[in-house]
Amino acid sequence: MTDTQPMVALRGITKTFAKRALVSNRAFGLRDINLDVYRGEVVGLLGESGSGKSTLANIITRLTSFSQGTYMFKGRDVRTLQRSEQLAFKSDVQIVFQDPYGSLNPRARICNIVGEGLAIHQSHLDATARKERVGSLIQEVGLGADCLDRYPHEFSGGQRQRIAIARAMAVEPDLLVCDEPLSSLDVSIQAQVLKLFARLIRERDLTMVFISHDINVARLLCDRVYIMLDGRIIEHGTAAEVLNNPQQKYTADLIEALY
Amino acid sequence: MTLLAKDTIGVPPDDILTVKNVAVSLTKGGRTMVSGVSFGVRRGELFGIVGESGSGKTLFTLSLFGLHGETEISAGEITFDDKTLFEDGKRRRLGRILGCRIGFIPQDPYSSLNPSMRVGRQITEAIYLARGTPPNSRQCRDEAVALLAEVGIPEPETAFRQYPDQFSGGMRQRIVIAIALSQDPALLIADEPTTALDAFTQRRIIDLIVERSRRRNLSVILISHNLELLRQSVDHIAVLYSGQLMNIFETADLGRNPLHPYTEALFECIPSVNKTLTDIRSIPGEPAGAGFGLTGCAFADRCAYVQDICRTARLPENTGRADSFSACLLGKGVRT
Repeated sequence: MTDTQPMVALRGITKTFAKRALVSNRAFGLRDINLDVYRGEVVGLLGESGSGKSTLANIITRLTSFSQGTYMFKGRDVRTLQRSEQLAFKSDVQIVFQDPYGSLNPRARICNIVGEGLAIHQSHLDATARKERVGSLIQEVGLGADCLDRYPHEFSGGQRQRIAIARAMAVEPDLLVCDEPLSSLDVSIQAQVLKLFARLIRERDLTMVFISHDINVARLLCDRVYIMLDGRIIEHGTAAEVLNNPQQKYTADLIEALY
Repeated sequence: MTLLAKDTIGVPPDDILTVKNVAVSLTKGGRTMVSGVSFGVRRGELFGIVGESGSGKTLFTLSLFGLHGETEISAGEITFDDKTLFEDGKRRRLGRILGCRIGFIPQDPYSSLNPSMRVGRQITEAIYLARGTPPNSRQCRDEAVALLAEVGIPEPETAFRQYPDQFSGGMRQRIVIAIALSQDPALLIADEPTTALDAFTQRRIIDLIVERSRRRNLSVILISHNLELLRQSVDHIAVLYSGQLMNIFETADLGRNPLHPYTEALFECIPSVNKTLTDIRSIPGEPAGAGFGLTGCAFADRCAYVQDICRTARLPENTGRADSFSACLLGKGVRT
């Protein structure tokens, strides 16, 4: 695959939700989303809560469906994937969720949480090889080998987020989607995880979709950013362009509002 | 200690709230969570309390006024508005102060309003409880509408008749602020009032609190984990870590005076506008939970300057309730 072809190409993606009566008068959804992610770049999705960032992340990882449009992944339309290709897609695209307290199975040991993907997607590895891989992943995210036999509740939020990152990295995905991975962490821990991401991006040449409402974090990690408002992309471009010289008033206000 | 020289008998006249050597412990088991905290909040000033989760910032502040169900004050003195709230192990005179002289803004505007009661009624009830104005009277109603207008609710007359679920999170938090202001309090306690809200709304709500404080000469204790937010909004910041008071400093003084190593490290963690990745320094390790006590510095294990004395010596306390204080055992951040 050449670099001229995007890894992810979304064209006219629209998602509508059935309006839930009595609960909310806001119609969530996505309208006409066009988005490209090229190999080796970090793409930021920025916007306030309710702007559709997470819905878009779920569409890219195919955790949720879309109503209209096309989604091409590595040149293939994801709606026409065969069963075996579907499995490959799941190891090609991995996600790190916002809340590390809700995203790890409380009844599984760390070695199983991180190793589960390997057991499914790289079944040629035997138990010893798998254990070795899990051990080196855990070390790569900055935790000790003694963690492997422990349970998630024994870890703090920052450590859990590292475990979630190790789990996502285990199957060596082509694309890593991170849905606000820093926002539920303490300031001092945020900086640690931010540094971990920066290191992984540098060392592994990761392709990443990074969702955030913190523009300063996006400024540090992202090559290109998309600004979202009410389910639409209102502005995009390189991070430096958009964040230093925003064309839309909304983007300028968003930058201004930040502490 | 140079700070001891500043110690005065009695309360400095311009303090609305004085906290002296206060320790907070759990009712069950009696474990001390926060110890040896002293500071003064002046009339009309915004006072920030910052800390990571588990630092005891919320627990401590709520306990001062008996608002925390599972804790009690186990030592120290608390004086509010020249009246003693706590002394010699006894709590006094809280009933007519809470909700009248002291207003409270809780964290989550989605759970702090009664969903089955009209917004107007929730405000008139508060006015009635504070001042006895009949809640159905014209006067009480007009006051409530004026309050809604004051906190920036569009069409306050309509809002008066609506239910909380018809408002967004930011608007709800404004309603909560209106209820807190309805008592015309002397002190407002805001416990992470914007953590449930997004960046835009956060800025507007904090601006509203700051503006109301300046206009009404209202003292505010603003609790937050966001150091940058506090730096831009308040006059003094107290830094708590693992139940120890680490640092108090004046925000206007920043950059001119040294800070406690923990505060300094916190500032270095924040990805602000002009920083590159190499400028951001993370603090190694994990925050220790509250309840560290006063022997040794709780931050020692993560501190870049740590020496043996940091783990064994007794932590300095802000006995003089100075506006500028550092608990660093190596004297870093202490003003000379």
